[in-house]
Amino acid sequence: MTAATPIPFHRLLIVEARKLVDTRSGTVIALITIGLVVASVVARGAVVGPKLQVLAGTAAIALGTLLPVLGILTVTGEWAHRTALTTFVLEPRRHRVLAAKCLPPLLAAVALSLFAMLVAVPVTAVVAGVRNLPATWEFQPLWLLGWTGANVLVAAAGLALGALLLNAPAAIVIHLSTPLLWSVVGSLGSVGATLAEWLDLNTTGASLVSGEMTWSEGARLAASVAFWIVLPMAAGLVRVLRKEPT
Amino acid sequence: MIEFRHVSKIYGKVQALDDVTFTVGTGSVTGFLGPNGAGKSTALRILVGLSRPSSGSATVLGLPYAEMACPGLRVGILLDAGAQHPGRTGREVLTLGAMTLGLPRTRVGEVLDLVGLTERESRRRVGGYSLGMRQRLGIAHALLGDPEVLILDEPANGLDPQGIHWMRRLLRDLADAGCAVLLSSHLLHEVEQVADHIVMIGRGRVLAQGTVDELSRGRGLEQTFLELTADTDRSPGAGASPGIDAGRGAA
Repeated sequence: MTAATPIPFHRLLIVEARKLVDTRSGTVIALITIGLVVASVVARGAVVGPKLQVLAGTAAIALGTLLPVLGILTVTGEWAHRTALTTFVLEPRRHRVLAAKCLPPLLAAVALSLFAMLVAVPVTAVVAGVRNLPATWEFQPLWLLGWTGANVLVAAAGLALGALLLNAPAAIVIHLSTPLLWSVVGSLGSVGATLAEWLDLNTTGASLVSGEMTWSEGARLAASVAFWIVLPMAAGLVRVLRKEPT
Repeated sequence: MIEFRHVSKIYGKVQALDDVTFTVGTGSVTGFLGPNGAGKSTALRILVGLSRPSSGSATVLGLPYAEMACPGLRVGILLDAGAQHPGRTGREVLTLGAMTLGLPRTRVGEVLDLVGLTERESRRRVGGYSLGMRQRLGIAHALLGDPEVLILDEPANGLDPQGIHWMRRLLRDLADAGCAVLLSSHLLHEVEQVADHIVMIGRGRVLAQGTVDELSRGRGLEQTFLELTADTDRSPGAGASPGIDAGRGAA
């Protein structure tokens, strides 16, 4: 608590995490995300039966849609509400604030992936009991790791898009319309198909989830990560550092 | 405590600030006075490192603001009372500030008392606050770190007469306790009643500076102000062409 020492990073992290949930909209998104994870696992259980890994994996639909939105909202919030005027005078080293904003959604991606796994356990047991079917308990630890990694990547893509545009509505619209975009691009002859193969994070991320990755799949994943995460985040960092709050 | 040295700022073709030089000493209130669009906000944003000067430099406590380790503990700042997340309560806004600065939570109650916001008001969302309440909240936020320097942009906007009277007392007491206060305003009378020193700015240039008595020249501050800012007057027939907004928005 002295003016001669910089604000410790963990303090910035706690403050930015708190900002994610201290407003009604933040709380609602957090609750919807948790609710959708539970609902998707339960619904899949009712349809496909007691298969632990399949049920847990269904949560990717909820996480893939909402984690990026959470990321977009956290990095664009200061500009939407002009609170950048307060935040960046308390910590003029803006890159530290940006880093503190990026970590909570990434940690949430890990936590919610594990949470989906935890939810899938009782759901599998209950479905097996109710429908009198043998439960399939086996899952590959490597699958859980890859799947969690894929969820972290989509959250990171949301953060990068938000940082690049610094405008929540635009970033959310782009995020939600990318699956459609890729299905259109993929149908545009061989060039379009190749582009979609290399740059669609949802397609390239599938190799992570399968737990087996060839060199060419790895290269495609790296290309899509560079395109959706590394490049926009680098440009977004420059924008955050330079932009003059109005 | 605060020092502007030949600060200029150019946005495209607009010269927002032109060779601004002045200082604010410890234990005094300096009024930064100028018509809307004169460049007051631009100057203050450069001072606190939110905006880069095209040339020149500005320092607080001898350092460029952005180079201070934890500036919030030495410098209190209110740039725009309206710039708050409407969904947070007043108390939450102050709690976030206190957490960032590593201050005990009890400090939140203390600054609320200082600015006269009640416990009940502090638990309401800022979206439902009047502008006057937002100003009080913003001043409370600026006071969190018990600062040596206070920088306030148009803090009297939206305050009722009691509020203005209260703020005058507060700033006077802080200055008497050794604080350096810089407040901007386009409202002459407010500044006149609280400030020891005045810096008049128009179209991005310092037009005059000195004590209130010096600038009054025996005819009153208003007369001096109107003469010096005649070329930015927008009323028909007065001055030259309608003033170009040198700053951005309400400066």
